[in-house]
Amino acid sequence: MPSLNYHKPLRAINFVCLAPQAKVVSLVGDFNTWDAAAHPMKQMPDRSWLITMELKHGHHRYAFVVDGVLTLDPRAQGVTRNDKGERVSLVPVS
Amino acid sequence: MGQTALTTQEAGRKPISALRGKIHPIVIYPFRQPAHYTDLEALYRLVARLDGDKAKYCRPVTVLDRKTHFAHKSDERFSQFRKSVVEKFSDVLDAWCVDTCQMWYGGLGAACERGQPGDVYWLIPGDFNYGSPIGQEVLSRLHDLPEIILELDQDLCIGEIATDHAHSKQLIDTYGTFALLYTWFPGEANEIRQFTERPRSEFFAIRHEFLRETLADRWFPYEQTVVMLLQAVLREKRISRFFVGNITDLPEEGETLSSALQQVERTEHVLKTLWRERHEQSLGWIETYRCLEAQSEQARRTAVTILQNALK
Repeated sequence: MPSLNYHKPLRAINFVCLAPQAKVVSLVGDFNTWDAAAHPMKQMPDRSWLITMELKHGHHRYAFVVDGVLTLDPRAQGVTRNDKGERVSLVPVS
Repeated sequence: MGQTALTTQEAGRKPISALRGKIHPIVIYPFRQPAHYTDLEALYRLVARLDGDKAKYCRPVTVLDRKTHFAHKSDERFSQFRKSVVEKFSDVLDAWCVDTCQMWYGGLGAACERGQPGDVYWLIPGDFNYGSPIGQEVLSRLHDLPEIILELDQDLCIGEIATDHAHSKQLIDTYGTFALLYTWFPGEANEIRQFTERPRSEFFAIRHEFLRETLADRWFPYEQTVVMLLQAVLREKRISRFFVGNITDLPEEGETLSSALQQVERTEHVLKTLWRERHEQSLGWIETYRCLEAQSEQARRTAVTILQNALK
C-alpha cells in the first residue's frame, strides 16, 4: 500500500457472501494481492459466509472467490475492474 | 460583461504532489433558482470545506448561467447569496449557456485549463435536494468519486443514485437510453450496463487526460454522460461506478411526459450523430445507417408508448 496511508487508522469491515450451496469461499482484493488462499471465509449458521478484515482508509477493490469462481458482491457500493480487467467490487473505508 | 468571466483567485493553487493530482470541484448552479436556499446552503457548506482543504482541492468553480443571474438581478436574497457564499467559496464562471451540458462544458473546460496531468475534475450538480437528510448523506459520499479516480488510477467514475423502478429517470434509461444504446452501439452498451443502470448520471469525476480527450471531441449540448461513457468504452478507459445514495430531483425538475420524450429524442439524436462520425468513412456506411435508423425509430416509438403509459 502507498506509504501515504501509513498513519491512517485501520477499520474493521465485515464482508458477507450469500452463497449457501458453496463449499469454499474466500475474499480477494488489493489488500491480499488477489490471493484466494490468503483470506478464507467462514460459513455462518445461516449458511452465509463471513470474514472481518481490518482495512486502511481509502477505497479497496475486492471480490469473493466462490468455489473457484471470481464473484462480485451484489451489495457492494461500487464496481470497477482489477489489474487483470476483471469486474470487481469496491468498498470505501473512512 | 465578459461572456465567460472567470473571477480567478488562483493564489491558493500550490505545486501538485508528484504522487497524486489535485481535485477540481465544479458546481453547476441551478438554472432555475429554488424558492428557498436550504439545498444550496447545504451544498455550499460542502464547497466551503473543499475550498478550505487546499492541499487536496483546487479552488472550486461555480458555473452560473447569465440568464439565471439576470432573472434574479433585482433579488436581494440572490445577490447576497451569490456574494457572501458562492463567490466566497468558489470562483464564479458567468456564462451564457444553451443547456446544462454547456454549463458542464464551460466549467470543465475552464477547470481543465488550470489543471495538469494527474488532476481530477469533479462535477457537482446544484439542483438536487441536498438539504434533506438523504441529501446530506449523499453530500457526504460524493467526495468518493474523485478519490476513487486518484486512489485506484481510474479515468471515469460515475456516481449512481438509487431511484424507484417507476421513477421517470429510471424508466427513461431502461426503455429509452439503453434501448437506443443497444441499437446503435450494442457492444459498448453491454459494457456500460455492466457498470451502471444510470448512464445519464450527472454525478461523475473524470481524470485530466481523459477530459482533455473528451473536450477535444464534439461536445453535445445534452446527454454528455452517455457520450463520455461511450468514449470511455471505445478507448478502453478505466471506468468505475459508485453508489452515492438515494436522492430525488427538486420538485421543479419533475418529469413531464413531454420532457421525458424530449430526453429520449435527444439521446437518439446524439447516438445517431456519434455513430455517423465513427462510420462515415467506411464503404457502404449509409446502408447500415438506414437499417439502424429504422431499428432506432422502432425502439424510440416503443419507448414513447411505454413512457406514455407509465408516466400517466
